Amino acid sequence: MPSPSDARLDRLTVLTGLAGAAAPLALAAFGQAEALPALVVSAGMAGLGLMLARRAPAPVQTVTSAPPTAAPLPFASILEELEDPVMVTEAGAPGEPAGHRLIFANRAARLLFRIQRQDARLITVIRNPQVTELVDEALIGGIAGHVAFEPAGAPERVWTATARPLAGPESRPALALLVLRDQTDLRRAERMRADFLANASHELRTPLASLSGFIETLRGPARDDTDARDRFLAIMQIQAERMARLINDLMSLSRIELNEHIAPQGRVDLALAATDVADAMTPVLRGKGVRIEWNTPPSGGASIEGDRDQIIQVIQNLIDNAVKYSPQDGVIRVEVSSPVSGDPPAVRDPEAARLALLTPEHRPGELYALLRISDGGPGMPRDALPRLTERFYRVEGQKSGDRTGTGLGLAIVKHIVNRHRGGVSVESVEGRGATFSVWFPLAAAAQMSWPERVAKAS
Amino acid sequence: MNEHIVRSYEDELNQLAAEVVRMGGLAEAQVGDSIQAFARRDVPLAQALIGRDIKLDAIEADIERAAIRMIALRQPMANDLRRTMSAMKIAMNLERCGDLAKNIGKRTLILAESEPAGPVTRSIERMGRLVASRLKEVIDAYTASEIDRAISVWTRDTEVDEHYESLFRELLTYMMGDPRTITAGAHLLFVAKNLERIGDHATNIAEIVHFEITGQAIASERPKLDSLTP
Repeated sequence: MPSPSDARLDRLTVLTGLAGAAAPLALAAFGQAEALPALVVSAGMAGLGLMLARRAPAPVQTVTSAPPTAAPLPFASILEELEDPVMVTEAGAPGEPAGHRLIFANRAARLLFRIQRQDARLITVIRNPQVTELVDEALIGGIAGHVAFEPAGAPERVWTATARPLAGPESRPALALLVLRDQTDLRRAERMRADFLANASHELRTPLASLSGFIETLRGPARDDTDARDRFLAIMQIQAERMARLINDLMSLSRIELNEHIAPQGRVDLALAATDVADAMTPVLRGKGVRIEWNTPPSGGASIEGDRDQIIQVIQNLIDNAVKYSPQDGVIRVEVSSPVSGDPPAVRDPEAARLALLTPEHRPGELYALLRISDGGPGMPRDALPRLTERFYRVEGQKSGDRTGTGLGLAIVKHIVNRHRGGVSVESVEGRGATFSVWFPLAAAAQMSWPERVAKAS
Repeated sequence: MNEHIVRSYEDELNQLAAEVVRMGGLAEAQVGDSIQAFARRDVPLAQALIGRDIKLDAIEADIERAAIRMIALRQPMANDLRRTMSAMKIAMNLERCGDLAKNIGKRTLILAESEPAGPVTRSIERMGRLVASRLKEVIDAYTASEIDRAISVWTRDTEVDEHYESLFRELLTYMMGDPRTITAGAHLLFVAKNLERIGDHATNIAEIVHFEITGQAIASERPKLDSLTP
């Protein structure tokens, strides 16, 4: 039988318990730890009424802050996190163009211009006269505008600056918004397109000019000269073939680019494909006395998923190049190895310069079949390597040689391999030949049987 | 009508430095434009930059006036005196850079009338980019009061000198190969010399920045390349 005093004691324990439960809430409300003992003491002393009064605000607060729709958008942090540099400038005293100060600069702007002080003068941040004039116009004239500028200094970067007045010109001090946008990539792409067009039309014009020249001669002075006619017609045929090759290459390049993001269908054995190409090229090889040295795995060992015609084109372009640059009676080495990892293959000659022209996206566990084609030709200087897959690029000093190539072969190789999610690399020692390597992901079945094959190999 | 402006001494000094930086931006743009006009044989750009040179002269006069006024009214001492004087001296150097850029612009106009010189133009452009980056760096060093950057500009002046030396040889060979190119070659030589002078002014500014911050001249002798020309 509990006595009244016992009951009172019980109630007190309940109250302290409640206070304990409310403490985290109250703590959140007060934001400091000292609130806890004060709360417990006051709960014990003043009883239920006070306790309720204390507890009441805490749950109400958590409820009001709960619905997410009520929270305003954090504009300050949105501005802060924007990728483009954003700044707000306040006009300085009249007649002092160097007096404008920043009142805001987001993270991108602070990083780009290494801004140390929040209220830095604009001129200490950007001193390009075009940009400062732009800001002057926005601050003083209230005129919005934009300008492209290249900051002086080593890395070639192009920016567009946009300035807008933030308030009417009558408000003092005037404010202006300055936003920068990086246009470097855009500018580079534009320049590349212009170069490509110029090169393509130049390459097409050369054989065309020679064709029309010979036609004119054949209709005029050489009309009845049979010897000259035969000779001219032979040259004209070569030029016409050259134009046809160029147009074919350009068209196949644009076709490949159209399909570049569509995964290829079909199954190709890399070693078999290479032998097929070599067989088809026998007349060319024999014509130059070039011999191919083979090193391939047994049939079916390098089965990749791919578009057969395109794989053939890759191998053909590479062997074609190797033959073209091989000396008379040279040897070309064609090797296929599988399975290998997706990294560019190791260099054989320690003096060789190597560059990966295309590396596949890294996927753990993915295995590849590798094709390497080496020639004993003149090789290439190190600084030529990065530009090899550029359209119409020719290594300097080799321009005057036989121009049977279109300058598009390696660009085609790169685009096809990219479609097949593979890689391309080149290594070369000047005067001692070049090796091109391409590697493609193995077909799914071959991927699965990989552990067995390792066991067999080891 | 006129607002009464009470401004602190410190603020006035900062304002003076900001004017110098603004002038630096203009000089940089002039030098950059002169290199671009030269490399691309861009006649309108060359004419525009020749016309803009007056601006630099006007700012230099303003800075000089402001500095003299400050010396007269505030009698700056120690650090403050150094800041005032260096503003004036840097403005002088920048004005010279502007003049040299203008001269490159004028020679570009003449060179545009003859045949393109080919690879030599590219070498001069490369040297120009190097010099422009030096000028940018030293103005950055002044803006942010960074001694290390100023010193690095100062010690690397030999690079510009080396460029000039090899260009000098290249141009001599070019002119000896074909006497008809001598007119153009002489102008090209002056363009290269002007760029080399701009590099020297950048080095001077680096010295001034060092003195402004530390109160001492850069101690060691600057590494100097023995020049072909006096």
